[in-house]
Amino acid sequence: MSFDRPKELLKPVKRRFIFMTFLLAVLVEMVPLPHGSTRWLPDFISLVLLYWVINQPRRVNVGIAFLMGLVADIATAGMLGQHALAYSVTAYLALSRQRQLIMFNLGQQALSVLALMLCNQSIMVVARMLTGSAFVGWSYFLPPLIGALLWPLLTKLLLLPYRHHSV
Amino acid sequence: MDFANTPSFFRSGPKPGTRLFLCALASIALLVGDSRYGLMEQARDGMSLVLYPLQRVVNMPLGMVRHFGDYFTVQADLKNENDQLRTRQLEMSARLARLETVERELNELRQLNSIKATRTDAPQLAETLYTGRDPFSYKIIIDKGADANLQPGQPVVDARGLLGQITRVQPLTAEVTLIIDKNQMVPVMIARTGERAILYGYGGGVEIRYLPLHADVREGDSIVTSGIDGLYQEGTPVARVSKVERNAGAAFSRITTEPLAGVQQTRYVLVLQQKGQTPPRPAEPVVPVKKTKGKKPADSE
Repeated sequence: MSFDRPKELLKPVKRRFIFMTFLLAVLVEMVPLPHGSTRWLPDFISLVLLYWVINQPRRVNVGIAFLMGLVADIATAGMLGQHALAYSVTAYLALSRQRQLIMFNLGQQALSVLALMLCNQSIMVVARMLTGSAFVGWSYFLPPLIGALLWPLLTKLLLLPYRHHSV
Repeated sequence: MDFANTPSFFRSGPKPGTRLFLCALASIALLVGDSRYGLMEQARDGMSLVLYPLQRVVNMPLGMVRHFGDYFTVQADLKNENDQLRTRQLEMSARLARLETVERELNELRQLNSIKATRTDAPQLAETLYTGRDPFSYKIIIDKGADANLQPGQPVVDARGLLGQITRVQPLTAEVTLIIDKNQMVPVMIARTGERAILYGYGGGVEIRYLPLHADVREGDSIVTSGIDGLYQEGTPVARVSKVERNAGAAFSRITTEPLAGVQQTRYVLVLQQKGQTPPRPAEPVVPVKKTKGKKPADSE
């Protein structure tokens, strides 16, 4: 258990807030960024999804992961079902170990998130290669690393509105 | 952060395993349906219509930044650009004059031979909305769609050359598959010799395959569309040969090319009309053979 951090009582999370974060992630996904940035930018939808799966497993479940995957498929003009499959499997994996993940401190969580997101990318690579695309190179596995590095920051940010006394 | 860990004594629906099974099944069905049979076009259209305002919202601040950037351009830059454009226009007008005479001549010849003149529909200007972040597919989304009468198959060019082809038209947007996408093929010819070939995209670049070893190709040759597919107008620049490798052991020479158009960085693109008016394929002379084939088993029976 994480004894290093003081436990705090938080306000209940609103459904609206969860929806907002997802919307924001989709918006970020759709920003026309300069070419090349997609090589290292992490997949924000999956990051937010993992955050909610780990912290609100009763609200955000495999079904929501599947739906968000569909949205991601449309937004990225990819193949329909590719993100959906990857997100559902990843969400399931996170859910099955949720009791453990929630006990970890941020560093350990970041490591598990790295593993989960790598799994995410691998599923997508396999799905695309089975449907006849070329392998895109190992740089495809760079975004999860950066996503994992961003994990502590994301956690702190998403907790901010639910502190009783804002710091 | 352990706020979620409190046990709940309420029912929470089906087990995660069951959910995963259902979702995985659904997504695999979608994947197969989309990649093999293209069943999901309708659903995709609807979803894209829902997402369109989001795209607009996201593009707005960027457009404003660009606008301000344009406003505060240095005068020297403007002058410079103006000069460049002027020289370019001079060059172009000289070329255009020649082209017009040639075109008139061509039309006269066509009339003499009673061939229909080629269609000259105006191209449509479109703006790139965004490039998909999916690194597997080299596609861009443009801001014109079924509302501008775009159709799948229309070629898309930029100022320098061929960019790709419209592959999917949605109510307000359209998806352009770039020539560097895997499985994208363009019938081309080498401008210097007129030798026909097919340019294959391999996901991130283009190359010419299946040209025999003795084919006359040199580095720096420009490659243009050949126009024999009834899709691309002939003579649109596509790529430039960057490297020719001839291995005595291989049957074909290895020709690496670079696309001319800014396939990854253009903002404004032109959607051309399809070439159209291809006469139907002449009837295959195989038909009588088929008939006899059909008769034979009938006779034997």
